[in-house]
Amino acid sequence: MRRTFRLSSAPQTASQRAATEDLADVERVLGGNIGAFEGIVRRWQGPLVNMAWRYCRDRGRAEELAQEAFVRAWRGLAQWRREGSFSTWLFALAANVFRSDLKRIPSVDLRLEDAPEPAGPATQHSVLAAQQSSEAVRRAVLALPARYREPVILFYFHEMDVGAAACTLGMPEGTLKARLSRARALLRSRFPQLENEHAAMKLTELNTGKEA
Amino acid sequence: MKQTRTSPSETTNAEIDRILATEEPLLPSSGFLMSVMERVREEAAAPAPIPFPWKRALPGMVVVACILGAGAFEILRRALPVAGEFTLAAPQISAAMERSMEQAGWVALAMGASLFSWMLAKRLAGRSGLL
Repeated sequence: MRRTFRLSSAPQTASQRAATEDLADVERVLGGNIGAFEGIVRRWQGPLVNMAWRYCRDRGRAEELAQEAFVRAWRGLAQWRREGSFSTWLFALAANVFRSDLKRIPSVDLRLEDAPEPAGPATQHSVLAAQQSSEAVRRAVLALPARYREPVILFYFHEMDVGAAACTLGMPEGTLKARLSRARALLRSRFPQLENEHAAMKLTELNTGKEA
Repeated sequence: MKQTRTSPSETTNAEIDRILATEEPLLPSSGFLMSVMERVREEAAAPAPIPFPWKRALPGMVVVACILGAGAFEILRRALPVAGEFTLAAPQISAAMERSMEQAGWVALAMGASLFSWMLAKRLAGRSGLL
């Protein structure tokens, strides 16, 4: 599994250092130093663009949404209460921005039943087929009903950390778990072949292990 | 040795988890940081919105509230004896009610005119870029 942006499982020292830097930059911005906001943008541009990408799957729009989130954060910086971490506040604010913007102009006007089928066995290249299948599932997430879509997006964005996703959404963990379960059931019903794909993948992994 | 069997739904969930958790990260474009800072600087350079002049408006608002309160009290004061006296003849009740209704009409008209002038002022201020 390749991940660049470590959020919840980041080493303690790195996250602590980021939190200290965030606090220092916020203090400087509130003190009138606009340039200090650059540090905040530099630190959080990757996660925020990626979060926006998961909401719309459109690179250009993801950057626009992330930019809007940063501008709103700059405007409302004084409203951040130091009780929680800056990143928690920033993600919750960004989620609000993305949600309201996508409500205005939806990224996909597609029903789950109409989500494209993953590549079938006719596809010659197995890696390409797997990629297409994965992309179909990711796109199908956007076709989920709104109340299930966002928990799914944020749960996987936060590397399957229920607590962090619930915090960003401002909902109890139990509610989030229930919605995730329902979302998975909807995806399962849409893509029943995923079970076979998983079995095939496990078999390939087993064979590769034996060969090694 | 006993083997643990996973249900089809668990297997599919595992596959969904694998697909959605292993997404290639997207790197922001090179000019992203600059464009965000540019917008932030624009926002900072823009004049701050004019705050509502509470200090000046408060006495006026208190006067208006007092007038409205007195008006409402007067309407009630005149209407209540009429409602309480069951022995009054029908034409007398009608006349009293008519007078109250007429006054209430004037109050409503005044309030409507105030609302209209407020909306007009707001619209004009908006066009001039003050708000």
